[in-house]
Amino acid sequence: MLRRDPLADLEPLIRRVYAYVAYRMGDGPDAEDVTSETFERALRYRKSYDPRKGEPVAWLLGIAKRCIDGGWPDRDLAAEVADSADSTDLEDETVRKLTVARAVATLDARDRELIALRYGSDLTARQIAEVLGARTNAIEVALHRALGRLRDVLGEEEDVEPVRKRGASR
Amino acid sequence: MRCWRKRHEGLDLEAELRAGRSEPAPEFINRLEARVRHNGRSRAGSLRVAFVGALTAVMLIALASVGGVGYASSAARDAAVSVKRVVAPKDVITVLKRGSALDQYGKPKAKKVKKAKKGKGKKGVTKARKRPPFTG
Repeated sequence: MLRRDPLADLEPLIRRVYAYVAYRMGDGPDAEDVTSETFERALRYRKSYDPRKGEPVAWLLGIAKRCIDGGWPDRDLAAEVADSADSTDLEDETVRKLTVARAVATLDARDRELIALRYGSDLTARQIAEVLGARTNAIEVALHRALGRLRDVLGEEEDVEPVRKRGASR
Repeated sequence: MRCWRKRHEGLDLEAELRAGRSEPAPEFINRLEARVRHNGRSRAGSLRVAFVGALTAVMLIALASVGGVGYASSAARDAAVSVKRVVAPKDVITVLKRGSALDQYGKPKAKKVKKAKKGKGKKGVTKARKRPPFTG
């Protein structure tokens, strides 16, 4: 039987893995390192990829998750995002992004992971369930709760002006 | 909190989260893509060479165990001789003409066949040599 190469279409895979890693660890060189490490491992173990178990992106994100959980030290993501948001002359869009990023960074690891997989890598609830080894409906419920907590955090934020501006303009 | 929710009913948090995802730098994408492609190719190439080498060794061992190597070499030798015979036939003929009998007695003369006389006996039939009578 012919095996599909999981790394055939690289660019979108790199983007999705990087987005996931950046949601978990923050943007920057560390995220690049983890993404590179993920693809190195994927190359080494590309024979172990089984298309029956899921899409290549889900397989790669599983590797990225193990890379982060196993090797990279936890960073104070909330503090880093807050530091970068201090600048006053940022454009509205950037501020809005930073506000959301800061709110995500305050969530616990599990919620952050779910949000990273769902909105960073664009996985469906079913694909997330495959990556995390859980049931699809459990993931849907967990995602719903994570979004609720994020809304709460955003509501508590003092600096929600940019988001408010955008909401009002719609 | 409720106020915030009321104020931002129009805000699509999911869209914000999607829009807020980080994009890798194009140089990083290019660099990583090139590295993955290069490493993948070289690994596949070395695997292919190793596979061919292993297959050759297995075939040689299998052939040697049933005397196939000697058979193959003799077949190759025969083939070489055949080719030589076709390419340089003169040499081959010379080799065939030589012999101890030829050296000792020289080239034999061609036998003359007597023609049957007209009107006597059957046409074209030569007389059989007379043998000494059978004496029991």
